[in-house]
Amino acid sequence: MDKVKRSSKLILSILFALAALTLAAGLGSVRVTPGEIVAVIANKVFSRPLPEDVTASIVSIIWDIRLPRAVTAFIVGAMLSVSGAVVQALLQNPLASSYTLGVSSGASLGAALVIVNEISIPVIGTLMLPAAGFVFGLSTVLLVIFFSARLDHNLRNHTIILFGMIVSLFVNGMLTLISSAYSRHMNRLILWQMGTFAGRRWEHVGLLAAICLAGCVAVCFFNRELDLMSFGEEQSLAMGVDAKRTRLILLILSSVLTGAAVCFTGVIGFIDLAAPHAVRRIFGSSHKYVLPMSAVIGGSFMTLADLASRTVLSPQEIPVGAVTALLGAPFFLWVYFGTRRKR
Amino acid sequence: MKAIECRGLSAAYDKRLLDKGEAVIRDIEIEINAGSSVAILGPNGSGKSTLLKSLCGMIPHKGSVKLLEKEAENLNRRQIAKSIAYMTQLSEIFFSYSVYETVMMGRYIHSRSAFGTATAEDRETVDKALRSTGVEELKDRQLSSLSGGELQRVFLARTFAQGSPVLMLDEPNNHLDLKVQSELAGYLKEWCAQPDHTLIGVYHDIPLALELADEFILMKDGRMLAKGSREDILDKGLLEETYGFEVRKYLGRIEKLLN
Repeated sequence: MDKVKRSSKLILSILFALAALTLAAGLGSVRVTPGEIVAVIANKVFSRPLPEDVTASIVSIIWDIRLPRAVTAFIVGAMLSVSGAVVQALLQNPLASSYTLGVSSGASLGAALVIVNEISIPVIGTLMLPAAGFVFGLSTVLLVIFFSARLDHNLRNHTIILFGMIVSLFVNGMLTLISSAYSRHMNRLILWQMGTFAGRRWEHVGLLAAICLAGCVAVCFFNRELDLMSFGEEQSLAMGVDAKRTRLILLILSSVLTGAAVCFTGVIGFIDLAAPHAVRRIFGSSHKYVLPMSAVIGGSFMTLADLASRTVLSPQEIPVGAVTALLGAPFFLWVYFGTRRKR
Repeated sequence: MKAIECRGLSAAYDKRLLDKGEAVIRDIEIEINAGSSVAILGPNGSGKSTLLKSLCGMIPHKGSVKLLEKEAENLNRRQIAKSIAYMTQLSEIFFSYSVYETVMMGRYIHSRSAFGTATAEDRETVDKALRSTGVEELKDRQLSSLSGGELQRVFLARTFAQGSPVLMLDEPNNHLDLKVQSELAGYLKEWCAQPDHTLIGVYHDIPLALELADEFILMKDGRMLAKGSREDILDKGLLEETYGFEVRKYLGRIEKLLN
């Protein structure tokens, strides 16, 4: 792909991301123009004076409600897509995602235990649920890796996928057991698992952004190893990659990314799977582009999905996981067939 | 200089099996001089590929292996790859790269930073590798659009691009038509002709092995049956013993059919 074409695609993607964020901040029961959004951001971030026609309620809608929600959606989309891209390449399986390793089931179990036991620790407060989800999600992955490594010295792909599935199913079984035993909490459990971005604040954004940035940058340092490893264990070893160590590091990094995303928002599927594929279709398979662009495209897509989830049937909200699949499947088909015809 | 030297080498795909004494290959003693071309021959399941993988340190093994007179144990993956460029058997491709990107991956061991761009030396080596395997015109094509023969040549180019003095090939002419096979033999001969280039190949195709190699290692049931020059293995009926059937008679019959 020539450089001009690629850089114009890069610019278009970034414009797409900005457009998605602007739409998410502007649309809703109260329409806000892009000019007003910029004025509010300038006021809050750079302490610029507000124009007279921007009322306090508009400021509050944009700054306190819509922007943190939209940015959270963007970051979560980015984290899920990047870790999806990593796991797909590592496991050489286009159908894999970081959910394959059991992060989501583990996180759901952690959250369920907190919900049914009504545990609350004053200091952590509202962070109790995400913290439990994160710890359980990550422990589940570590369990999967531990078992795989015990059974298979080389930590091969199919072993990891198999154990990921077994442990996920086992944990899901426990989850079902808990849900049926504590049926009065069922509603809250299901709502948590469906995932939502409602009521996200800047505190969430800060924490998520920090994890997202650190994780994505760390993963990007392995872009060449990922290219080589997508040819399989043997070939990557032959070309000089320390495959076992690299795989371990990347599995943990991608699980941290997914775990953090899931524990703040619940389990939202499809983006983690589809965004990396769409990016590969547009930018080629080189992870130098796949990783950052998965973040941009996945983030934009999640922002739009969340926008749709709160506006289409407003005032009622559709679960965002349903939207990602409903919008994502046709989009995926379009990207897939659209770019294939050209070759 | 010795390119490869191994003593008492046993290997298995699982460390626990190796510890239990259930090795796939055992007690292999080999010395390969730098600059030679060696063919490893033997029936299916005799341990030929296992031998290559254990020499590259890819699978659990016991015994000592020296690569270019250095203990392999003390080398990391990058250092091993700098000594040996190993071309595995073709595998399924899940994510498509361009031919140029793919061959450039061979330069991984020579790059220092994760975000560095290719140096002039990298580009030169890659261009040369593309030329010497006849895939120069394919360089902007995607792997997913190539035929098996084209793919095999691209992977050979990537192996050449590694720039390592020892080249290991695992059945390089699998799935290739005769024309491509003969072209491949040509590329390999050219590579071998350069000073201190060592070629070690596992071949199913005995004529190709006879054409390319000057030394032979015969494997049977995980053990080394014999090693020697072309004359050694042809004269003493060793090929027949290795494969358990009349190899030369069979090849002679085919030659008669062709004439």
